[in-house]
Amino acid sequence: MPLPERNDMKRYDLIVVGAGPSGLSAAIEASKRGVKTIVFDENARPGGQLFKQIHKFFGSKEHKAKIRGFVIGQQLLDEAGKAGVEVVLNATVIGLYQDKEIVVKTGDTVHHYKGDSIIIATGASENMVTFDGWTLPGVIGAGAAQTLMNLHGIKPGKRVLMLGSGNVGLVVSFQLMQAGCEVAALVDAAPEIGGYGVHAAKVARTGVPFYLSHTIVKAEGTDHVTGVTIAAVDDHFRFIPGTEKHFDVDTICVAVGLSPMSQLLKMAGCRMSDDPKRGGQVPIIDGHGETSIPGLFAAGDVSGIEEASSAMIEGRQAGIYAAEFLGFISKTEMDNGEEKLDAALDGLRQGMFAPKNRGKNIEKTEEGIDISRNLLCRGFIGDDEIERFPGVTHKAGVHPVIECTQNIPCNPCQDACAMHCIMVGKVITALPAVDPSLKCADCGMCVASCSGQAIFLVNEDCGDGTATVTLPYEFLPVPDEGTRGRALGRNGQEVCDAEVVKIRTSPAYDHTTLLTMSVPKEFAMKARFFKANA
Amino acid sequence: MNTLSDRSRDIGEFVSQPGDEMIICRCEEITKGEIRRAVHEGMFTMTEIRRYLRAGMGLCQGQTCSKLVKGIVARELKVSPADLEPATSRVPMRPIEMKVFANENEDEDE
Amino acid sequence: MEQELIWDLEQEKQRIMVHPILGRIEKGRRVKFTYDGREVEGYEGEPIAAALKAQGVMIHRYTAKKHSPRGIFCAIGRCTDCVMVVDGEPNIRTCITPLREGMTVQTQYGVSAEPFENQ
Repeated sequence: MPLPERNDMKRYDLIVVGAGPSGLSAAIEASKRGVKTIVFDENARPGGQLFKQIHKFFGSKEHKAKIRGFVIGQQLLDEAGKAGVEVVLNATVIGLYQDKEIVVKTGDTVHHYKGDSIIIATGASENMVTFDGWTLPGVIGAGAAQTLMNLHGIKPGKRVLMLGSGNVGLVVSFQLMQAGCEVAALVDAAPEIGGYGVHAAKVARTGVPFYLSHTIVKAEGTDHVTGVTIAAVDDHFRFIPGTEKHFDVDTICVAVGLSPMSQLLKMAGCRMSDDPKRGGQVPIIDGHGETSIPGLFAAGDVSGIEEASSAMIEGRQAGIYAAEFLGFISKTEMDNGEEKLDAALDGLRQGMFAPKNRGKNIEKTEEGIDISRNLLCRGFIGDDEIERFPGVTHKAGVHPVIECTQNIPCNPCQDACAMHCIMVGKVITALPAVDPSLKCADCGMCVASCSGQAIFLVNEDCGDGTATVTLPYEFLPVPDEGTRGRALGRNGQEVCDAEVVKIRTSPAYDHTTLLTMSVPKEFAMKARFFKANA
Repeated sequence: MNTLSDRSRDIGEFVSQPGDEMIICRCEEITKGEIRRAVHEGMFTMTEIRRYLRAGMGLCQGQTCSKLVKGIVARELKVSPADLEPATSRVPMRPIEMKVFANENEDEDE
Repeated sequence: MEQELIWDLEQEKQRIMVHPILGRIEKGRRVKFTYDGREVEGYEGEPIAAALKAQGVMIHRYTAKKHSPRGIFCAIGRCTDCVMVVDGEPNIRTCITPLREGMTVQTQYGVSAEPFENQ
């Protein structure tokens, strides 16, 4: 005899677990199609990790490229509000059962809900590594650093050592400096930098040393971190004696990857697989994000670690699939809805850092150009390597120099240039090329639009023995015009004297200040950062 | 046959190593040595390790250490971590007070 | 306002006053609370851990077995390393618990606010 249905159980067409980029996107698309949807999130604020992302995103227009993460988060919330999505915060989903019932803790009570379909968009959790002293206060996750500085306005530390050279480690290192912290070094046990070269380069040029094939021996301190010792490792990740280096730091930040937070799916009995390319335990899903349990979908990092941009698209797709599963739209309507999204997602999954290329040793760009070895191993492009890339050309007068040397899916620079000097083309991962026959208006839009901060405006010869270099500057204080200091090279080493001759700000630059410095003309192609004299 | 369930497999005696004193499970303060020793004492699955040592059963419910523990166990068994079944996931996924867990909302009228 | 700013700069160097991208950091009302019996200040609604971090507090608790110090680790309520005794209740995740006026926040020893030698 069937059990009587519990009278306290609320029913929804669709339950979404997680109000991050993919969960919100899913709820938006489903709600738009008339699906009665509810979203639960254990956090006090919606948006997941988007509100901690203060850098400009990569991609093209359809992926919201060159918009900062927290702004995208706000747009998503606005869209969710318009679509009438119901989001319940401080609501922890503590259980998920095969018959699509969930158990949610809110306040001091536990509630049961039944969904005719469920989308799990729980995201990821941070991986950790162990080293002597790793439990000491002062050793924190990179996510903690972002949360403290970008959400709560608190510096994670005065002087920080970053472990991990993936995009998270690189981006958070830069953000630490933006928050006013000093980054003592960036360390990774791997022999090559894991994240985008442009992210590494913008950190390296400020003077942060990179130690690849190095890892932490020991966090020092009795009550909290007072220092750290690193050492080089061999091919088998064993310490090489005698290579130890000490740094006085009060904080060690760990950014060694993410793992899908898929426990709810496993609990429900979904078929799972352990897939290192996706970051660990993931549900086995079909082309529509559906798990082995009909009507139970997974979207975003929980089904494989990627970027927030792809999580948002996967979420939208899952919302459309759920709407079709529930019978709110026909299969044809579903196919029409997702076609564009498929193309957008495919665009993001191209290039050297695409999921399919993880772990591959790529030595040449799609154009057949040798990748900079310095960039991979030290975080910056060598002065002798830069000339071979299509964004680097020479001509009289001001012109853009684009130090974008890896195939990543990104093209805002192309649209930024009203004079059409910059060309990426149809293949979104192609290296931007500069057409030196066209005139540069020196508007600065390309410099500000480059999410990788890899574009400079250079006048190689001003006629008086000097050159000017315009660079993106996202730190405080912004030096005044007339400030004297030193120009730093791509490697962060001082190369020559420099003077700030122009400071440009504009709403169109979106908080990226354009700093123009004057340097002796022989340093036009070497000087890439400005440091004021103390 | 799944090599992991072959309990007659000889993985040798536990021999202490440098680094055995390293805390792996931060909540329950379980060391690497304790985990390695447990494997040699016959705990070949993640679920067994959890029950035997409480590693991953503290306040955070294995959020931080489960991947680390898995790596250590796999190494001891000389298998790939991907071949080890993760420990059972069950309600509640997050720490919860018993009084809250028992406080089911019986009639929800809105 | 001016005076408050100066107070901040001197006492709370770990607060970011102006950020190059986020601008001026907006906070709630300034409130008093006690940390291990000492009266301190923070902003209403910010996590207790943020207010303590601004004061330079690193140690939130000492573990039950090995009595080793712990502090903020994940800052999003997952790892439970930052738990303290708040208003007499132990195991409160300070990184996600909003600060309120008059709160009593104490270092946690094992699961108690009493140092081990008194337990």
